[in-house]
This record gives sequence, structure tokens and C-alpha cells, in this order.
Amino acid sequence: MDRIRISFRLNGVEREAFVSPEERLLDMLRDDMGMKSVKEGCGTGDCGTCTVLVNGKPVLSCIMPAFQARGKEITTLEGLNEDSAMKVIQDKFREYHAAQCGFCTPAMEIVGYKLIKESDGVPSKEEVKEGISGVLCRCTGYYDIVDALRSAAEVIKK
Amino acid sequence: MSVSVEEFIGELQRKAERGELLYIGQSLRRIDDLEKVLGKPIYTNDLLPRETLYARLVLSKQPHAILKGIGVARAISYPTVKAVLTYQDIPGENISSTIIPDRPLFAFEKVRSTGDIVAAVIAENERRAAEATELVDVQYEPLPAVFDPIEAMKPDAPKVHSEGNVIKHMKVRKGDVEKGFQDSDIIVENTFRTQFQDAVPLEAETALAIPRDNGKLLIIGSMQTPHHVQAAVARVLGRPLEDIEVIQAVTGGAFGPKSDEPPYDVSSIAALGAIKTGRPVLMSMTRKESMIAHTKRHPAIIHHKTGVKSNGRLVASEVQIVLDGGAYASLGVLVIVRATFHANGPYDIPNVKNDGYKVYTNNTYTGSFRGFGAPQAIFAAEAQMDEIARKLNMDPLDLRLMNMLRPGSRTSTGQLMDDSCGLPECVDAVVSASNYREKRREYSQQSGKVRRGIGIAMLHHGNALGPEGNDYAYVHLSVEKNGRVHLGTALTEYGTGAVSGLAQIAASVLGIPLDYFVLDRPDTLAHHETGATVASRVTAIGGNAARDAAMKLKERATAVAARLLGVSPSDVRIVDGLAFVSGNPKRTVSWEEVVRAAYESGVELSVIGYYMAPQCVWDQETGLGSPYNQYTFGAAVAEVEVDVETGQYRVLNYYVAFDVGKAINPKNVIGQLYGGSVQGIGYAMMEELVHVNGKVVNPNLKDYYIPTSMDVPERMVPIIVEKPGSMGVYGAKIIAEPPIVLPAPAIRNAIMNAIGDGVNDLPITAEKVYRKAKELGLG
Repeated sequence: MDRIRISFRLNGVEREAFVSPEERLLDMLRDDMGMKSVKEGCGTGDCGTCTVLVNGKPVLSCIMPAFQARGKEITTLEGLNEDSAMKVIQDKFREYHAAQCGFCTPAMEIVGYKLIKESDGVPSKEEVKEGISGVLCRCTGYYDIVDALRSAAEVIKK
Repeated sequence: MSVSVEEFIGELQRKAERGELLYIGQSLRRIDDLEKVLGKPIYTNDLLPRETLYARLVLSKQPHAILKGIGVARAISYPTVKAVLTYQDIPGENISSTIIPDRPLFAFEKVRSTGDIVAAVIAENERRAAEATELVDVQYEPLPAVFDPIEAMKPDAPKVHSEGNVIKHMKVRKGDVEKGFQDSDIIVENTFRTQFQDAVPLEAETALAIPRDNGKLLIIGSMQTPHHVQAAVARVLGRPLEDIEVIQAVTGGAFGPKSDEPPYDVSSIAALGAIKTGRPVLMSMTRKESMIAHTKRHPAIIHHKTGVKSNGRLVASEVQIVLDGGAYASLGVLVIVRATFHANGPYDIPNVKNDGYKVYTNNTYTGSFRGFGAPQAIFAAEAQMDEIARKLNMDPLDLRLMNMLRPGSRTSTGQLMDDSCGLPECVDAVVSASNYREKRREYSQQSGKVRRGIGIAMLHHGNALGPEGNDYAYVHLSVEKNGRVHLGTALTEYGTGAVSGLAQIAASVLGIPLDYFVLDRPDTLAHHETGATVASRVTAIGGNAARDAAMKLKERATAVAARLLGVSPSDVRIVDGLAFVSGNPKRTVSWEEVVRAAYESGVELSVIGYYMAPQCVWDQETGLGSPYNQYTFGAAVAEVEVDVETGQYRVLNYYVAFDVGKAINPKNVIGQLYGGSVQGIGYAMMEELVHVNGKVVNPNLKDYYIPTSMDVPERMVPIIVEKPGSMGVYGAKIIAEPPIVLPAPAIRNAIMNAIGDGVNDLPITAEKVYRKAKELGLG
């Protein structure tokens, strides 16, 4: 089958790939680019654990064809691990025990990061709940995640 | 902040007085979560070697049928397909079962549910493998099927296996219920129903098998009990145990199904494929495969008949529980034991007659899932209490206060409650936190479209395995020359933080900071077989083994420190990684120095700790006795707001208190109260895996709802009560499972308070509330 040549930026680095039309962004990121923080929890766009940022917006990489990454800026947790705001979020996740099994954690941190970056001041509990509502967590009941993100926002927005 | 030498010394001395409780009861950070927050490759599917092949399942299309033939030729010739596995490819025994050997790995002669695995296709990539599954030509001759467990119990029902459909009948007989009913002023009878619930661990079942040069196999997978998986794979392969090494990868949620048979399936199929192809094989269930082919929570039909005095005293309780076992026994034969023991709720009732049945049907199979029979049993028992209270025109809280277990009272099996019964304290805590009495009064006079209600529920939960098996554990500790302490155990971590808690216990005994510890991955080659990681038993039971190991290690380290300090070992204290002479902490030697001296003098700093719980004694026929060594207690209050015109409702506030004996790490306990409660809220309000004629119609997360962050109560108030138990380490009781139990009855009772009647079948959807409100002439 014909493969499509695409170029895009992944975590700030210019990358190129040959992808087949049906290949998912999730598979390209995990298998070809080694971005293992991107998880597959359902494969049908319902659980959110495969969330990455595409041009700064959260996108479900299991239902986005890889070729659509052409010319886009893709960000995964691997690209944010040195970011000072993300470091605060990760530290707060640990302080609040917000990562239990850890499977949703990268996606939660990414949507939390985006929420905090884009909000004026510290987001309210309701805003955080809404901001993370596209990512399912089966362990924590969300409370510790919401508290961790708000506490992180207090540090980041200081 | 700087401290003077005197202050520092004083602090060490004060800490030394805490002895082995140095770090117990502190919300220390977990030591296993750094890689998780960094998104490191730690889960099975992140660890694939090059050359890995992918397996996909062919599931039965029929709920009950004779297997006439399996045509694999077209699938085998499909591009990149390397193998198609069926029962014919099994060199050992075609069994993938925990207790009763009733379930083949691959269907043989007949299929008994749509979750039966008929074949597996192995190809170069997942897409090719998935496509090729459609080319496997399976011929069925349908058989009469049975989907209702009550129907299945009838003598003329279609037989799922060669014997009758009742797999297990469990009984409790205490006093004389017939006489009890005669002595009662009123009799209350009700039937309650519960649904299939899927655990939905966000990482579905998965295993990777890697062939080794010497013909042996390494299996890395997502699971709760590696040694059980090792034994299951060895049986299928017809190989000795030592040919198969199983390592538990970091596991993305488990909740019970991963202690049951699904990990056997994925591991055995990956293993068979690896042997057949000579290459690594990943068998990773899709969400859909998982929701069809793994074990779920048993649906239950529960009938209560209760005899009560007009003052509210419970006199007799007769309960019949029928669990839909689906097509196979699984760990469900133990689920019915727990359900039957807990069927009457946490009450002191003189006359009890319980009958629990686990029954085969042609639905997909059911088994282990957080709560293990308690969610069904306590939902019915606690709904029944509110029905009784209504008949007596009593407040449901007062009815409970009159009958609930307290120190000195007896359970349905006649077990005497001692001082470790913290149920009254739990009830007090949630009643006062929620302002239950005042709100109950306030909500008794409501009209209009939107109405509020408040409801209570409570439970006891027999600790750890009890009648489910020998409750033992091994924990290994081994110190590296640099002072780092490796903690290894075949008890597994899958989210709760319990294994990090074991390190916290060992750190506390040894007197060295938790960050000296490294958790080794559970590995059948490295660690003793230690029973199943189930029944929330890691902290309470495993904690005793961790303590034992740390005590042994401390004795050796202390002897070395004593030599360095020139005193007798009994005078040595170790605190925060510093050894010093008791009462005189001016001169210290560091843990590192002690370890180095041990290495230089041939003192082995490697130990194995062990614990075995006392045997539980109870009568098989009557259930009477002490089936559990200790109990966890809990109470919850839910406050709801119901729109009587639409039936839509939300939980505004949820208050939950648990007597956990001793909270080793309170933050971890709270994590279980939050997470378990929300999973229980899903069970109460929205989750139902729907079977139609044996087929699962919603095996995906679009049509099967689990709570999102928007569905949780605005306010959840978790409360820890501590009444130390006799078995668990430092008095700890188990806590991971029980919180899932209380939301369903508490919410059901709150809705009853709001609209005047309760919904008796789970989940309590808006539609059911709407119908109930219509029936009552509301809205």
C-alpha cells in the first residue's frame, strides 16, 4: 500500500515519517517515534489516555490518522518532562498521590498542563474537573488529581 | 532552616522513642510513582522487543453450541500471519482455570459463552492479525441456551456443563429462623437485583512471551499473581514450572479480574505463540475483547425475608442469593462464600438462614472483582434495612443503631465482636459530618420538582482471605553495598501504593528513610510463591512479612553497628539512617557505614520475612464460627438531589468513614476511599454490561459508562477511624475493596428519602427513578 511521506514537529524537533493511510497517530508516536507515554486504553476515542497536544490542543491520538500530523506540532509528555510547569505538576501528582496505577497519568498531566497554561490565575475545582473530563481514571476518583492540579497551578501562577 | 547540634540530637532521641513505629501513620510519598508521572516505558506494551509478533482472538459467535469445525487454512495463508492457534496446538492440558478445571483455554467440542476463545491468530502486526481472525471459519451447531440463573437452577434447564448448573451452594444456619419469624411482629420481604459490572482497568489484559535460548520462556504481563500465571502456563505447555519465568510489569489497574483467569489466557496464548514461532509474542486484549472475554462482577438476584419486633429489633433473617456465574466457575466459587457470609449486613441477628448459589448460565463468565460478592450482598441488606424502617415508621439510622455490630455483639456466624469493632465510631463520624438528623427532618417535607434526600449504609467486611485460602506472605529484603535496600515480593502493586507501604513498614522498623528503598519487580524466579494478591491483603498480611524481614535484617545491622560503636547491640538505636548509642546520640555511624562494615565482615544483609495468619475456624455445613480473623467496618451517607420530572439525579455530598485498624499511610487510605467510592458510584448509578441472549451489546467505553470527573459528587468527605485489629500489621485492617460497596445502598436509600420509594435493581438510572416517580404520582 502507498505510504505517505509527512513532516511535522514532535516535541520541538523536526521529524519525518512514512505512514500508511490507515495508520493511527497513536501507533506512529508509540511504535515509530518511541513516545511510550502515549497510552492506548480503548482504541475508540472514549478513554482519553492517548491524549497528546496537536498545535497546542488536546487530541485523541487513537482516532487521528497519522498523516494528518503533516505540518503540525505534536507534543507528548516526553517533550514536557523538562518544562518547569510540568515539573511542578509531576511533583504535585506525587505529593497528592494522584498517580495510582499511572496509566492515565501522562494524559491527565497533559490536559492539566494545558488547562493551567491557558487559565488566568488558579482554575477553580469545577474548571479543573471540566478540563480533565476527557480523560478517564479508574483508580483515584479524580479528587487527588484535581487537588494536585490546583496546587500546581498555585505554584505556577505565583 | 538550620538546627543546632543539640536540637538535632534531641530530635534523634525523641524519634528513637517511637521505636519501630518511626514512620508508621505518616503520609509518606510513594516510591513507585516517579516513572509513572514521567510517562516512562514501564507497562507491558511499552517493553516489546524487535521482532515481536501480535496475537488477536477469535471469540465464539454463539453462546452455546457444538463446535463442528474450525477452518484455519484461509487465515494461515493471509499476509504476515505466522500461526493460528486452536485447541489442537496445546501440548499440555487445555485448561485455563483457577479452582475448578472447567474452562478450556481454547474451545473444545463446544462453546458455552460468547466470551469463549476459539482460536488466536498471530501475525507481524496487530491489524493483519485482526483481519485474519475474520478468516477463521468456525462452524457451530447451536444448542439450547440458558441466560437466567433462576431458570438455570431448574432441573430441566439446558446444562452448561455435563453436571447440573449449580456450581456451589453455600449456607449459613444460625438459631431457628422459623421460630424467629413466629416471634416477630412484622415480616418484610423484598427481592433485589444487581447487574454485570466491568472492572475496566484502563490497561486491558496483556502479556508478552519471549522465547529464551535454552527453550525456556520469559513472560512479562499485567497481572495480580505471577506464580499462579506461571502454573497456568506450565499446565498448558506441559512444562515444569522452572521453564517459565513470569515477571509482573507495572500494571495499569487490575481490580480483581487480573487475579482471576484472564491473565492465564493472555499469558498462555502468548507462550504458545512464542514456542510455535520462536519469536516474542504479545497477546494484548483490545478493550472490546477484554469486556467480552474477561471476568465481570456477578449479577445477583437476592431475596430477603426479615422478621422484626415492632420496636425495631431484628429477630430473624433469611436470605437467598443467586449469582449468575456465566459459563465458568472462576474464582466465583469463593465470591459466593463471601457474599453469603455478609448477606445479612453488619447486624447482630439471633436467627439466620442464608443460602448462596453460584450458577452456570451461557452468559460470559463472572468472577473476582473488588468487593468479591460484598457489593451485591450489602446493597440488598442495606436496602432491606430501609424497607424495614419504612414499615416500622422508624428512622433508618435508629433501626441500624439498635441492631448494628458493636463490641460484644455477634455476627451471623456467631463470631463475637471484640474492641476492634469500630462500626459505632464510623456511624457517628458520618452522621455528624453530614448533619444527617437535621437534613432527614428537613427533607421529610418536600414538594415540587427538585427534591433532596439523604441516606445511610454500613458494612462489615471479613478481612483478607479467611475462608478463601491460606493467608501467608513472603517479603525479601536485600541490601546493596551502597546501602540501598531492595524490597522484593510476589505480592504485586497495581495502583494502591500498598507495596510502597511495605517498604514504609520495613523502613520504619529499620530506622532508615524510605528513599533508601528500591522496589524490585515481582518475579517468579526471584521471589517465593506468596499466595494471591487479592482480598486487599498486601498491607495487613504482607505488612507482617515485611516487618518480620526488617526485624531479621535489623538484628544483623544492629550487631554490626554495636561493634562500630563499641557497645552492646541492645544499646543501639537507628533513626533516620543514623545508628547511635541509646540516650547518647552525639556519636553516630551512618547506615552506609554499617552496611559497608557488614560487607567487609561477611555479614549477610539479605533476609526473607514470612507471615501466616491464624487459621479461621468455621463449620462447613452451618457456616458457624469465625470465618475471618478480623473485620473492617464502614459507614457512608449520601445526599442526593432528584428531579422528579425527569428522574435525573446527582450525588451532592458523600461522607464515608472506615475503621481501618491502623492507617499505615493515611494518604494511601484516603486514595482508596476516594477511588473505591467512585467506582461504587459507577456501580450504583450508571455501569451495566448488557447481555442480550448471551451477547454483550456494549463492550466499549462509549456505551458502557464509567464515572468521569464530571460525575463525581461535588464533595466527598473521607474519614479514617482506627480500632486496631488482631491480625494485621500494627493493627491494620484491609481497605482497598470495601469502599466500593457503600455507594449503591447509600444512594438508593437517599433517593428513597427524596421521593418516597427506592429502586431495587442496579444500576439506579435516571430512567428507573423517573418510572418510580411516575408510579408514586410525582412529577
